[in-house]
Amino acid sequence: MPNRHATSGLITPSRRQFLGSAAALGTAFAADMSTLDVLQNPTFASELKKQQKHVILLWLAGGASQLETWDPKPGQPTGGPFRPISTSVPGVEVSELLPKLAERMKHTAIIRSLNTKVGDHGGGAKLMETGRRPEPGTDFPDLGAICARELGRRDSQVPDYVSMYTSTEGRRKGTSGFLGSRYAPMFLSDQMTPKNIARLESISVSDHQARSDLRSLLAKGFAEHRQNDLVASHNTAYQRVKGLMASETLFDISGEPDSIRAMYGPTQFGEQCLVARRLVEAGVPFVKVARAWWDSHGQNFETHRELCADLDQSMSGLLDDLEQRGLLENTLVITLGEFGRTPRINPSLGRDHFASAWSCSLSGCGVRGGSVYGKTDPKGNTVVDGEAKAGDLFATIFEAVGISTHHEYYLGSRPVPIVDFGCEAISEVLA
Amino acid sequence: MTIDPKKLNKVAEKGVPDILFCIARQPTSTTLFVGNSSFQVAALQTDAEKPEFEPLTGDAHQSYVTGLAVAGESKNVLVSGAYDGRLIWWDPEQRQSIRAIDAHPSWIRGVVASPDGRLIASVADDMVCRLWDANTGDSIRSLDKHARETPHHYPSMLYAAAFSPDGQFLATADRVGHVIVWEVETGAVAAELDAPVMYTWDPRARRHSIGGIRSVAFSPDGKKLAVGGIGKIGNIDHLGGPSRIEIFHWEKNERLHEIEDSKLKGLVERLHFSPSGDWLLAGGGDHGGFLSFYNVESGELIHQVKAPMHVHDFVFDDQAEKLYTAGHNKIAEWSFTEDEESSN
Repeated sequence: MPNRHATSGLITPSRRQFLGSAAALGTAFAADMSTLDVLQNPTFASELKKQQKHVILLWLAGGASQLETWDPKPGQPTGGPFRPISTSVPGVEVSELLPKLAERMKHTAIIRSLNTKVGDHGGGAKLMETGRRPEPGTDFPDLGAICARELGRRDSQVPDYVSMYTSTEGRRKGTSGFLGSRYAPMFLSDQMTPKNIARLESISVSDHQARSDLRSLLAKGFAEHRQNDLVASHNTAYQRVKGLMASETLFDISGEPDSIRAMYGPTQFGEQCLVARRLVEAGVPFVKVARAWWDSHGQNFETHRELCADLDQSMSGLLDDLEQRGLLENTLVITLGEFGRTPRINPSLGRDHFASAWSCSLSGCGVRGGSVYGKTDPKGNTVVDGEAKAGDLFATIFEAVGISTHHEYYLGSRPVPIVDFGCEAISEVLA
Repeated sequence: MTIDPKKLNKVAEKGVPDILFCIARQPTSTTLFVGNSSFQVAALQTDAEKPEFEPLTGDAHQSYVTGLAVAGESKNVLVSGAYDGRLIWWDPEQRQSIRAIDAHPSWIRGVVASPDGRLIASVADDMVCRLWDANTGDSIRSLDKHARETPHHYPSMLYAAAFSPDGQFLATADRVGHVIVWEVETGAVAAELDAPVMYTWDPRARRHSIGGIRSVAFSPDGKKLAVGGIGKIGNIDHLGGPSRIEIFHWEKNERLHEIEDSKLKGLVERLHFSPSGDWLLAGGGDHGGFLSFYNVESGELIHQVKAPMHVHDFVFDDQAEKLYTAGHNKIAEWSFTEDEESSN
């Protein structure tokens, strides 16, 4: 349901206004773009920059250990048993649990200096999903909803935001907040394919098409005499439903070649990453694939052996596949969770919740591959250089995919900046 | 001296900055050796006024030291294994390394010596058990039949090994609860057992696996085989499951006992049968630790104490009057006499 506040709007001309204008210009646009001098217009230039940009968020639910992934601490009592390994970028080391990703470091920027302070699952997740702390009375949209709104195409017949959390805890659905249900995720919680979008077996393909054609004919006649947004919206909704029904096949990876499936690995996470690539290729701007459960209070090292093997294989497959299809330069792949894990190793050989000095990664679109931003102390207890907040990360993500960090939404008369107050993009990791 | 499990009491404990994963001692010696999380093998003189750990010198491990065995026909060699995949031979008198070999491509989980001291067996997460000449370090045989992946396509782990008292058989046990008993001389499989409850796979909520058989021991007559680990885990984040032991008549593939304890929970990291085979000692833990004695005939709990830490390993002295437990940031000394508890 949309928020009770007024519909959001933008101070800057919206992407939809732009696309609408572009569509209206029609052939003129194609015939002589030089006369329009579109690139001299900052707004249009920004819009062009984010054409067909996509984001795939690999949500490491429960909180992955930065020490066993992106910020190893060899030789320290907190370092754990894993060794650091060199990557394809000289001077950059990651945990030995990520050998395949180490070879692909040219695509990836590591941020090692997140200090987000919120160390409980619910609060941490809310913060890292929305980029800001909650405020009473304001239902902030999450990253997926913002990207869906800013990167989605008005005429798209595929979903704008797909969230896969199949067969895991399923407690983080994602929210479109005050942006309204139009940008809410298509949420897959217990199966690989969406429910209720398949054509009923009792209706044949030809019957289905005939009904659709009849509806279109009647609707067209009705609309010809009524210039009304509601009527247009009604027709758009039908088109989207039709698109969603057609997109069912996107979730079916059975037709993918064995070689492609092997790249992603045989696990559910791998298969969902492959679905994410299919969705992005079909035009879906934001896909979240959540992998649980990294909450390793006990047996942290064995947990990370299992889950990092999964992440390493599947994310490497995803980066390779996107690159081979020419999609990586327009697709940002993020690894993120609600927080990291304590440097201290507890008596169960576990690590507990830790939000003071942890890491995430950004790969692909808009990112300066091989860069490492921020630094923690030798034991990993504190950030000693380049401290970054959740909002800074969000600003960086927006910049990477061409969403203006100066955007503002309006809740009634109240402006809500797209990036939290006092936050800015980390330019050092941006291309 | 006959041990009365009910008389067990802690007489001393010592805090250390490291996690102690394994402990060993030579016969008639007052020195304890431990493997720790600082990648060291270290010695502790138990009869010193203020005992302190002294790291052995020479070659060094590069990860957690998780296996330690006294070997050689005169029990004059110490062999350690670590998560770096290396085995290092040590001279316990000189406290220096003798040789180091790259034994496995992945984590070594345990190192055990044959009863006659001639062989070393190492188990690792390449899912291979390798037999070595304890004197020369030469490779003798690889025992390779454990599945490398769990049924859900994740890396499996090979945690534990134990020789039978006559040295003819070697049992190895893995993450999914599979046990193989090998003929040492030929490498043939003598028996295969399964303890599937030891392995928890949570397919719905957290899609994560945990557990496995962490300890194995033969009875003195060689007929029974005890395996230890953890039962069905409810809270997969916190090792939230009962400690679990299964005892088999392994030649008959007959499960004699399934023992679970939800009072003092967690992993059973170490098992030891009494010399007469009438009781079985289990040590382990979760955030806390435990030592539990069970009647082998009935499977009933005889006596149980909380340990001051998660117990990773233990060793008895020659007269079986004392027990030393090594674990998370602590080493503790226990007595089977009526001494009052004290600590330093």
